[in-house]
Amino acid sequence: MKLACVIHRFGADIAGGSESHCRVVAHHLADAHDVTVLTSCARDHVTWENHYAAGESSDGRLRVRRFPVVRRRDLARFRDVSRLVFSGRASNADQEAWFRENGPVVPALLDELQGRGTAYDRVLFWSYRYFPTYFGLPLVADRAILLPTAEEDPLIRAAALETFFSRPAGYLFLTPEEADLVAERAPVRAPAAVIGCGIDPVEKGSDPFSDRASAEKGSDPFSLTDPFVLYLGRVDPNKGCESLLHYFARYVAGRAQAPGTRHPIQLVLAGPVNMPVPDHPSIHVLGFVEDDVRAALLSRARVLLMPSPYESLSMVVLEAWNHGLPVLVNARCAVLRGQVRRADGGLHYRTGAEFAAALDYLLDRPDEARALGAQGLAYVEREYRWPTVMQKIETVLVGSRN
Amino acid sequence: MSPDTNSAIHVDAVMAKIETDVRDELRRRLVARGGPSEFRDAEVFARVHEVLARAADRRDLDVLLLPELLADEDAWKPAVALRISSHRPFVGPMIVFFKRRVILPLVRWLFEYTEDNFRRQDYVNRVVMACLEELAIENARLRRELSADGQASR
Repeated sequence: MKLACVIHRFGADIAGGSESHCRVVAHHLADAHDVTVLTSCARDHVTWENHYAAGESSDGRLRVRRFPVVRRRDLARFRDVSRLVFSGRASNADQEAWFRENGPVVPALLDELQGRGTAYDRVLFWSYRYFPTYFGLPLVADRAILLPTAEEDPLIRAAALETFFSRPAGYLFLTPEEADLVAERAPVRAPAAVIGCGIDPVEKGSDPFSDRASAEKGSDPFSLTDPFVLYLGRVDPNKGCESLLHYFARYVAGRAQAPGTRHPIQLVLAGPVNMPVPDHPSIHVLGFVEDDVRAALLSRARVLLMPSPYESLSMVVLEAWNHGLPVLVNARCAVLRGQVRRADGGLHYRTGAEFAAALDYLLDRPDEARALGAQGLAYVEREYRWPTVMQKIETVLVGSRN
Repeated sequence: MSPDTNSAIHVDAVMAKIETDVRDELRRRLVARGGPSEFRDAEVFARVHEVLARAADRRDLDVLLLPELLADEDAWKPAVALRISSHRPFVGPMIVFFKRRVILPLVRWLFEYTEDNFRRQDYVNRVVMACLEELAIENARLRRELSADGQASR
């Protein structure tokens, strides 16, 4: 088949969740299909400033066509329209305005879909909240496959989405919770599948901790002590990190006062930092880390913490399970709670007290913690290896034949 | 997809134990700090906890009965969004332009600071309304059961 993948920004150096998902899925689709990526010239997801050259380039077997962004995002205007839309008082016109202000505004990409959309057998759209998908999908609805990457945030209740979500010829969801969320807004009659994301088995390679330690004459380059728990990803209030830091500081204070001998526990934050992190002896900030360090952290940590209140699929949780690591997630996010319950791969919490009790369980019962991690890995083996994921995608591509 | 039946450790079972322990500890703490004497009864506390937790955990706090019964929402709902307008027929557009381009950039920091607090207040209002709704539902159910029992015993 001749396929187009529409995504708001694209590149090997872009770390966003839906962007990475699009890229890995497109590369796997290229094993069997002729795939073109239609995207913007933007790299920065805040301003949408043009960064890449417009026109055609390639990424492995993928043909990449980039279209210029015609205006940078006006953040003050975007915040104003967001307040209105999220307050629940917005008209349909206000909601349309939100999708325009959110951007990236790429009219030439819409022209391409309008003029040459029928040249593609299927057009896959990632993330309903961005301009290319929201305004582009209706132009080729008869051959459109939507990957909504919907989260349980206030935008999902926008009235304009009732029509939008009923348009595609097929749907690919990341979790059953996401499928339910979209089905609550519009009837999902077209072929649909819950695909998640493929993940390759862990390769045993060199350990950057011991490599760097020996290079630096035995000193630990990251100053980490065992045991430590890990947060991996953007350190940001929107990712639930403020609550995480409060809960963890309280947990450490409570553990120090508890009777009995317990090892001090350290929280390692690995990812770009977008918020103030308190200076605390048990909180260790590494900032952005390379893939090899990331893998080493996952193989050495006791627990992965995932406090995000909004997720359509947590890839970090899958990565942790891929390393046999149990997870502790925010139960207020239905997707995270669902992932953990389906896999039996960790625990969840709603309050600080539950956070402390669940973390105690995982740290004080290493055998049970290891068993939960192993169950997580078994779940990844069953559901998230690439052949399984691609088979589900192929079924929807064929089933949505117009 | 449901939880895996082959698992050696079932998350739901572990979480049920953790949630019960946390709830018992919370009850003991509240009683020790002078909370309602009814909380000495673990069963009563569990039922109260269940009703309030159900309200606090409701996914869609926008879908509630009580707001529908109140007057126009402009009369009671904290307005988080800022609408700049003028009722004056001729100079109105100039006033709006002035407010938007000159006044708003100067006071935006103050607006955004207060906005967070308005948002928190709006959230608490909705949770309280959800609690009332849960209690009203509970009350209606009990009344129906009582009336059914009364009819059966006649």
